[in-house]
Amino acid sequence: MTVLQATTAAMTRAMLDDSAVVVMGEDVGVAGGIFRATQGLQQQFGEDRVIDTPLDEKGIAAHAIGMALYGLRPIAEIQFSGFIHDAFEQIMFCGTKYRWITGGQYTCPMVLRAPSFGGIKGGFWHSQSPETYYIHGGGMKVVCPATPDDAYRLLLAAIVDPDPVLVLEAVPLYRSLSGPVNDDGVPAEIGRAEVVRPGDDLTIVAYGPARHLALRAADEMSAREGYSIEVIDLRSLVPWDREAVSASVRRTGRLVVLHEGSQTLGFGSEIVAAIQEHDFGYLHGPIQRIAGHDMPYGFSIGDEYYRPSIERIRAAVRRAMDFEF
Amino acid sequence: MNAPKIVSFAGAPREPVPVPLASADELGIEQVLDAEGLPNGNRPEPDLDQATVVKMYEVMVTVAALDRIGWQLQRSGRMEFWIPSRGQEAAHVASTAAMRPSDWIFLADREPGSFLWRGAGLTQMFAQFFGRADEPLKGRRLPLLLGDRSINIVPCTTQVGSYIPHAAGAAWAAKLRGDDTRFIVYFGDGATSRGEFHSALNFAGIHKPPVVFFCQNNGWAVSTPNDRQTATATFAEKADAYAVRRVRVDGNDPLAVYAATADALAAMPDEGATLIEAVTYRMGFHTSSDNPDLYRSGDEVDAWARWDPIDRTRKYLEHKGWWDSGREAALHEAADGDIKAAITAAEAMPKPVPESQFDDVFEQPTWMLDDQRDRLLDDLSNGGAL
Repeated sequence: MTVLQATTAAMTRAMLDDSAVVVMGEDVGVAGGIFRATQGLQQQFGEDRVIDTPLDEKGIAAHAIGMALYGLRPIAEIQFSGFIHDAFEQIMFCGTKYRWITGGQYTCPMVLRAPSFGGIKGGFWHSQSPETYYIHGGGMKVVCPATPDDAYRLLLAAIVDPDPVLVLEAVPLYRSLSGPVNDDGVPAEIGRAEVVRPGDDLTIVAYGPARHLALRAADEMSAREGYSIEVIDLRSLVPWDREAVSASVRRTGRLVVLHEGSQTLGFGSEIVAAIQEHDFGYLHGPIQRIAGHDMPYGFSIGDEYYRPSIERIRAAVRRAMDFEF
Repeated sequence: MNAPKIVSFAGAPREPVPVPLASADELGIEQVLDAEGLPNGNRPEPDLDQATVVKMYEVMVTVAALDRIGWQLQRSGRMEFWIPSRGQEAAHVASTAAMRPSDWIFLADREPGSFLWRGAGLTQMFAQFFGRADEPLKGRRLPLLLGDRSINIVPCTTQVGSYIPHAAGAAWAAKLRGDDTRFIVYFGDGATSRGEFHSALNFAGIHKPPVVFFCQNNGWAVSTPNDRQTATATFAEKADAYAVRRVRVDGNDPLAVYAATADALAAMPDEGATLIEAVTYRMGFHTSSDNPDLYRSGDEVDAWARWDPIDRTRKYLEHKGWWDSGREAALHEAADGDIKAAITAAEAMPKPVPESQFDDVFEQPTWMLDDQRDRLLDDLSNGGAL
């Protein structure tokens, strides 16, 4: 399956298993979503469970919240994650807070699917990595699958989770990446990282499409420069797998964190802060950050120079390996 | 509604606006009772028995007593904050009375009578006002942001109007499930300027969920009057843009409010939602942090006092022969006594412990929250006095 087919398969499976699961969003019905992730669902499950909504992200999130309060399990598709911010207050001050503000009486088990990340020459609004905004302040789980199997199992996990989950889907991987997926309905455990490639000298932590760039850099640099590089795909940001990163860093002593979102207060900041606090004595040098920049993502050169590139990963690895106290 | 008037200098109270209830018929405001509590033929009396109207009156009087005593507690420093409801008793009590106990209510913040109508105890309410641990919201919300799932009342998400589509979404979910649960959501005139109001009405026009959008137009959004909130003559007519059923009703007339709400419920199978604009007036401050003398005149408040919902209801009861001075005195005495007993009981209840704030972020706390909780408790233990 492609990542996209795995995404559709997860929703189909969930809708078959639980009549409380509904899908909603702009163009998700007849058209099957602009990426076709919901293709065929309305024909299979009807207009009441696959709802074409008005063009109103705030309204999509807000009505999904209401449905979840009553006991449905809505999956709301936001057409691009660059459009999700219209719903920011609904998501971060309503949906993700209902359990707490009601003393645990009302819950909001909704899923927000947000196609994210750069690589399709989409410009600012169609290339975003919005994770930081939706982590700050708490109440949201955030996952970012980067393989077909993760796309299937993390989305299933998001759907059965009792709390709101934001799924940052990897637009550039939707149709470009295929792999085996057993459509068995088994969800992943949210919060577990994957060691994609073992190594002894340095750890690269990535998530989303950056996983694949990190792996390529590690393979090439191991072959040509002799470094033994470990690559970890976080897969989930809330909660994130500090134990996996910590265990790796305690062996390698060197860490590079990699993400597409803006550097300042990006998720890498949290990793760096947590690892220096937790594993300070094991580090052989400063932790390197490679991230997007504190500016919009440009149309013509953003894919090459806003997002982390393989050149920047190589440079960061060399900085970390060459560092001397 | 009058044409906009520009005040002469900053801070000057604006000229009083005539009470629209005095011209209800010509303004399209449904009304059963005149200012003296007598049926005026504008709209027929709803078929309500003595017990129901008496109960509405008793709850309204208790709300007013609660408001008077709560205000005193705030002003004397025994409570941090207060949100007055004086003047709006009929609007929320009578509309809640028209709902079944199994129907869901999304509250705003001036509806303590909805809570009382559904049988919540005064001690529980004061425990909420005092931020005590053992109340449904665990001491987490400002006084009067009430909610209790056991009586199907959802507390508001505090941003004005943000929860209106939550009610519409929940109503749509109930309809999808084939349940006969109905929904009512309270909000004010200011909320109609928020995007969520329009999102919800737009959704409701398309999907026809069983929800009553109940706008308590109390004349003022803090210091902003109706004619600075919107250029439309009414708030009700905003429903027309979304093909949603609408009605404008005298919010200080419990019989008219009850009837309008009952009509909205009856229309649900065919028409789905209704927007009700209840024309009422906030007699008190916006909150304990406000000073209405800066922006509105005492003459305007005095004019509205003639249309006081509690006085009109009492006069109606007397007119029907359902009430007497003995019952009136007993009601006031009982309300004050019950409230004072509840204050004593609630003040003696403990506040939440520090670690309780980590509960209910998620069903199961993440390790990240566990770490933060453990650090807080360690620091409180290790960071004591020098």
